[in-house]
Amino acid sequence: MADVPVPSANSAVKTAQRRPSVFLSIPLIDNERIRTFLAPAWRQYVAAFVVVCGVSGIGYPLRPWVNYQTLALIYLLAEVMLALVVGRWATLLAAVLSAAVWDYLFVPPIYSFHIEDIYDGTMVITYWVVALVVGELTARLRTYQKAELQAQLLSESEKLGRTLLNSVSHEFRTPISAIVGAAGNLRAQGELSPAQERLIGEIESAGTRLNRIVQSLLSAARMQGGQLQPRLDWCEVREVINASLRESAELLNGHPIETNIPAGPHLAKMDFFLMQQAMSNLIANAAIHTPPETPIEVSARFEGKELLLQVSDRGPGLPAGELEHVFDLFHRLPNSKPGGVGLGLAIVKGFVEAQGGRVAAGNAANGGAVFNIWMPAADSPELPEEIL
Amino acid sequence: MNNATSTPDLSALVIDDEPQIQRLLATVLEANRYRVTTANSGREGLSTISKQRHDLIILDLGLPDITGLAVLKQIREWTQAPVVILTVQDSEAEKIEALDCGADDYVTKPFSSGELLARLRAAVRRADRGKAEEPLLRFGNITVNLAARLVTRENLAVKLTSTEYALLRLFVQHAGNVLTHKQVLREVWGPEHEQKTQYLRVYVQRLRDKLEPNPNSPVYFLTESGIGYRFSAS
Repeated sequence: MADVPVPSANSAVKTAQRRPSVFLSIPLIDNERIRTFLAPAWRQYVAAFVVVCGVSGIGYPLRPWVNYQTLALIYLLAEVMLALVVGRWATLLAAVLSAAVWDYLFVPPIYSFHIEDIYDGTMVITYWVVALVVGELTARLRTYQKAELQAQLLSESEKLGRTLLNSVSHEFRTPISAIVGAAGNLRAQGELSPAQERLIGEIESAGTRLNRIVQSLLSAARMQGGQLQPRLDWCEVREVINASLRESAELLNGHPIETNIPAGPHLAKMDFFLMQQAMSNLIANAAIHTPPETPIEVSARFEGKELLLQVSDRGPGLPAGELEHVFDLFHRLPNSKPGGVGLGLAIVKGFVEAQGGRVAAGNAANGGAVFNIWMPAADSPELPEEIL
Repeated sequence: MNNATSTPDLSALVIDDEPQIQRLLATVLEANRYRVTTANSGREGLSTISKQRHDLIILDLGLPDITGLAVLKQIREWTQAPVVILTVQDSEAEKIEALDCGADDYVTKPFSSGELLARLRAAVRRADRGKAEEPLLRFGNITVNLAARLVTRENLAVKLTSTEYALLRLFVQHAGNVLTHKQVLREVWGPEHEQKTQYLRVYVQRLRDKLEPNPNSPVYFLTESGIGYRFSAS
């Protein structure tokens, strides 16, 4: 299985290469070398000047064979090409310059800005308008192109990140499922000696532990990659707490839990699953870092426009100077017990903040550690009349 | 109803690309008197379904060729056979979508065989139940008499509002099955209220307060985190 690394990640790369774009297929705009060369604004103005001088310089000796109307079209062509590679203002400069030079050198009477013929006058004005419109349109085109390119890169890298995470998750969970499932199934095979029974228990609990670690690593990776997408919906706080107690039950290790939630509905807009994870991480954290049998208190109440969820223990509390760092990724208390990698509290913070809440740690007057989660609870839900 | 020994063998189709999971499922299912067919991909699964009738389909949502959801939608165009999906944690949105697309239930990896078998039994039961409705249900010290519209706890009538009763009725009729928030809201409050999860939160809490031995540690009205609820009579 190990030699089949991440099959589905390749398809995301393929999608990144596909998808043609109208804007990206215009070759000149996309020429990296020209673009880099013309990045400074002064070079663009110089380019505008050089182009106009160039066209004029070539056109001047050709006057006997090329009439000045045709030359206007050549100027216009040069203007369009220029607009593809320089900015709006350099295009405008070229338009003004070329109109003036053309008028002075080519339109009769030559060597004068004076225009006698009404047709020539119309032509100068039309030339101007066309040059300006072209300049504006290409500038807009370029802005679109830039935005599209950026959006595409961003969405592709996000998609790739997500696909990678999903396949890593799949690659870990498949063998873990096989281990846990097979161990459980062994038990169903018939009479077992106490030693066999115990060994199966070991396999199962190791598998479950491994699964928890993988889950934490994936959560942290999702968080760091900005890929948490909380689905906020009304949740009953009591239910969230019950679910997190159920989830952390096997880590409680004999710690009694005291819940303290005032009567009545406590509804807040949260992502149930993320909140459940955050709360069970706090509860598990308290159970790990306090002496056996000491109670852990879980409480919830509204405070102003916020919902406060609190987990407090009767352990030694947090050392001074640690309060700001306990939520950092991979941070561990100086003399904490082996096991754990410093992900639990970082995940709490990441999950809560992704939903617009905040976290804080402190010490209670009686010495235990207190972890607080505040969730925004400014709106109250619309409820059916029967309840009110 | 606790195992398949009294009923004839059921045929189960496993659609999963992982040989290890296939073998595990086959072992568990065959030990519990299911006849097992396996398919390695979504397309293979669909072609197997088109050729052969199955009493039960187990579908992994992470398939290599077509998404599990696409397979599910196509399965539902042909057959109403119960479908239980295999999925992983933190894919709640996907689970909800699959359940709303007609999956009967889900099992999250890693799963225990006991959990899997319970889900399969409940899914098969749901498919069998059809029209025949059991008029009287008992769980713990509670009885629900659907014919008489009467709920008792320790032989004393429990007063329920009409909404509470409608919710309880829906739950007991789907005992063992997961129901998404949307499914419950649509059934009890109507399609125009299917986004109002707050109604459901409040009413489930009320049912728990009235019927659970310990409302803070429910055993009947179970929360499926971020997905919905499951009523468990056992």
